[in-house]
Amino acid sequence: MSTYQFVGKSIERVDALEKVLGTAKYVGDYYLPGMLYARALRSEVPHARIVELDVSPALQVPGVKAVITCDDFVDHGNFGFPVKDQYVLAYQKVRYVGEAIAAVAAETEEAALEGIKAIHLVLEPLPGLFDIDHALDPNAPQVGPDRADGKHPNFLDMSPVYKGNVDEVLKQCDVVLDLKYTTPHQEHAYIETEGALAIPTPEGGVVVYVSCQSPFIDKGILQMVLGLDPARVRTIIPPVGGSFGGKDDLNYYTSAQVAALALKTGKPVRMTFSREESMIASYKRDAAHMHIQLGASHDGVLRACRAKHTFDSGAYASQTPFTAWRGSIHAMGAYRYDACEVEITSVYSNNGFSGAFRGFGNTEACFAIEQAIDEMADALGMDPIDFRLKNCLRLGDETPHGQILTQSVGLTECLQIVRKASDWDRKRTEYSRQAAGDIRRGIGVAALFHGTSLGAEGIDSATSTIEIENDHTIVLTSGLTDYGPGSRTVYTIIAAEELGVNMKRIIMLRPDTNTAIDSGPTVASRSTMVGGNAVRNAARNLAQTINLAASDLLKCSVDQLYRVGEDFVGPSEEVVRWDAVVDHARDMGLVLSTYGKWVAPKIDWDHHGGRGTPYFAYHFAAHVAEVEVDVRIGKTQVLNYWAAHDSGTVIFPEGAYGQVYGGVAQGIGYALLEEALYADGYLQSVNFDTYLIPTSMDVPEIKATFVQTYFSEGPYGAKNIAEPAMVPAAPAVLNAIAHAIGRRIRDLPADLEKVVLGEALRKKGSPVSCKIGLKTK
Amino acid sequence: MQRIQVSLKVNGKKYRLETPPNRTLLEVLREDLGLTGAKDGCSSGECGACTVLLDGRAVNSCLVLIGSADGHSIETVEGLQKAGMPHPLQKAFVEKGAVQCGFCTPGMLMAAKALLDQNPKPDEEQIRTALAGNLCRCTGYTKIIDAVQEAAKELRYE
Ligand code: FES
Ligand code: FES
Repeated sequence: MSTYQFVGKSIERVDALEKVLGTAKYVGDYYLPGMLYARALRSEVPHARIVELDVSPALQVPGVKAVITCDDFVDHGNFGFPVKDQYVLAYQKVRYVGEAIAAVAAETEEAALEGIKAIHLVLEPLPGLFDIDHALDPNAPQVGPDRADGKHPNFLDMSPVYKGNVDEVLKQCDVVLDLKYTTPHQEHAYIETEGALAIPTPEGGVVVYVSCQSPFIDKGILQMVLGLDPARVRTIIPPVGGSFGGKDDLNYYTSAQVAALALKTGKPVRMTFSREESMIASYKRDAAHMHIQLGASHDGVLRACRAKHTFDSGAYASQTPFTAWRGSIHAMGAYRYDACEVEITSVYSNNGFSGAFRGFGNTEACFAIEQAIDEMADALGMDPIDFRLKNCLRLGDETPHGQILTQSVGLTECLQIVRKASDWDRKRTEYSRQAAGDIRRGIGVAALFHGTSLGAEGIDSATSTIEIENDHTIVLTSGLTDYGPGSRTVYTIIAAEELGVNMKRIIMLRPDTNTAIDSGPTVASRSTMVGGNAVRNAARNLAQTINLAASDLLKCSVDQLYRVGEDFVGPSEEVVRWDAVVDHARDMGLVLSTYGKWVAPKIDWDHHGGRGTPYFAYHFAAHVAEVEVDVRIGKTQVLNYWAAHDSGTVIFPEGAYGQVYGGVAQGIGYALLEEALYADGYLQSVNFDTYLIPTSMDVPEIKATFVQTYFSEGPYGAKNIAEPAMVPAAPAVLNAIAHAIGRRIRDLPADLEKVVLGEALRKKGSPVSCKIGLKTK
Repeated sequence: MQRIQVSLKVNGKKYRLETPPNRTLLEVLREDLGLTGAKDGCSSGECGACTVLLDGRAVNSCLVLIGSADGHSIETVEGLQKAGMPHPLQKAFVEKGAVQCGFCTPGMLMAAKALLDQNPKPDEEQIRTALAGNLCRCTGYTKIIDAVQEAAKELRYE
């Protein structure tokens, strides 16, 4: 590994300087001459038929320049993947509080707000569906679209994994546990709210700047709903102020809204959400109701797992079918079983809508199984780490899905590392014996496996272009977005490594559909592996050309060349500079622009039989949390935290550590504070005064270690990191709380009430903050 | 709406402007003066993304009505670098990896500057307390705290 010049070395982010100087321009920082401000009229009821909608009064408001509804789009702006159930602006019905119905463009934000208030709207409320346990009752209110296959319209999907006969094996088990867990909706809480800016072009097209994850999906949707040909739509991604899975669909239809308004007015139009609007309108992490049966024998061997979960997709499918699928693959945890039966059902409701969020179904599933595993260790009288080590997946094992793990399985090392680093054995014993008292300490562990990249969700490939400019700099593109984690730096490192040039020579462009090539969605922590391989291939293709020119210049064969810094040296120690080689390549008529593509290995999953190879590799990790609980007031403080991750080779260490620190912080928030609670469809927290996320006072120093098992398909052996960093945090913290207080909290978050009372206080929900939040600046 | 006359000194430069009185300092900085470094993350004093210094004190500029800034001296992230040289805090944030998406960064830097101006040798607890009003969703704060410590050291040498 030490042979690399840049890979794995301490390197600064390529975009850090502009961010500390305050010059990085996010969407909301654009104030163009003549720019109009847009605002959407959003539903204040969770489920209703649109009976009357007259937007013309808005046009009477001084300053208002245009108003649009679903009628301004092709097929009423219908879109969505994998289920086409959403509209750019509501069509006939609204299904959640915050759903956009019409949008106004005006000269000022105030005028836009007055414009939406002037719109004449009559909604006929329909019965709402808020309890997902009754979503599939025969008489449940219909939220999902009509379906032809006879299934309940509120049924979205069911993702199974099957191995053997669980009932048979459970009968033979000495200990069988039957456990229920719940997780709430979680808000992404990126500090930059959603936003998009559309600039009309003289040819009748639009250029859209949007804070989103996947530029080509944005462009595709714009083409479809605006009826424009590909040449007339260009999507550019400026710096994105955090996303975590949260800047997909909502931002696509926001860009469609501003694009339509820009085409209508001939002016640039920007929409930037207020925090209240962002929280109310945006999709959340699915809430989940989870039921686990676990069987083991006295000697500590895990034998059977049944997991029957229900995920709340809310008003639209969005990414939930994929979330639930990923959840199902990981629902039994990283262990061996004789029998396994997982079924995750996702259903529609009127509780906002759910979509992608870091961990993507595994965060929910891991919370349940990793507590259940701890409960089983308790029941067997075993140490939780010993129990995990005895049963966890190792190299050569067959997973419950039927996949043989042939390489890069570092879970045992991860468990051993956190055990040692945290002084686990001593603390576990000491805290188990602590005298009764109000301040109690505990230490808990959680293990993780997390499939890399898309797996069976879709075709998995990426492409990068690379080109040498006249000034000898190198311009690199990727169709994937760096919304904070640092993939632009990773790509710069890879290109510099392959070409043997200084990183400063490389200009890594931000995603722009006119310069980059479609590389699928920026999701599933796939940027390093899939995008990184594409960059590596591109750089290698370019290096071939450059080496040819160098050998011609130095009158030797390519394999006689060697490099000293950027310089090329021939057999007679003659030195030529990079610039001279590039100039010579041009003189030779060589083409100095090329591209590289990488396609992930084929995978094979039977979605009905629940067997196969769901992912071509897995990330493994173990986390340990040490907590102090004040049982009088229910406050939990995380004192110390250790995380060990088998992410394959680490290409950009600073970025990888940053992902672990940030991921753990989000996991601690999920464990202790965060709950996006819907009461009768109304979100109860609409700003950071009531939706609490961890502050600098809540997150301890986190000690991270990387177990770098080599993965042959990844660039330099790399796998991934962004999502897995968060997933095991909540169960590690909850297991530590259980150790501290001797009682299990099976429902997130473990806030003050749950720690003191063992349950949440029943509060009456109120629609007020949503109603106010949707109508203020 | 009637307009008011306001004079401000921002990053050492004097401005006189006329504005409706119901606007915030954050809006004026961003919209009228083109200083978009300070961000709007919540408009309600909860996230700290809009933090600037008002007479040396860190304030949430989204809560400061423009009239109450009249005659005062403001410092924003754009004013941190001197003669093209990044401030030690800016350098440390880059070097320590305290920046991810960067949206909280300008506010964090200004809150940290206010702290270091008053307390050149803060311990970890004091740094955590000083930054408690600045939310960051990306970094888990670890590297931000390292960076502030690093900058404090550097500033003491200067
Ligand atoms: S924008 Fe001022 S505190 Fe959030
Ligand atoms: S770096 Fe993204 S919010 Fe702090």
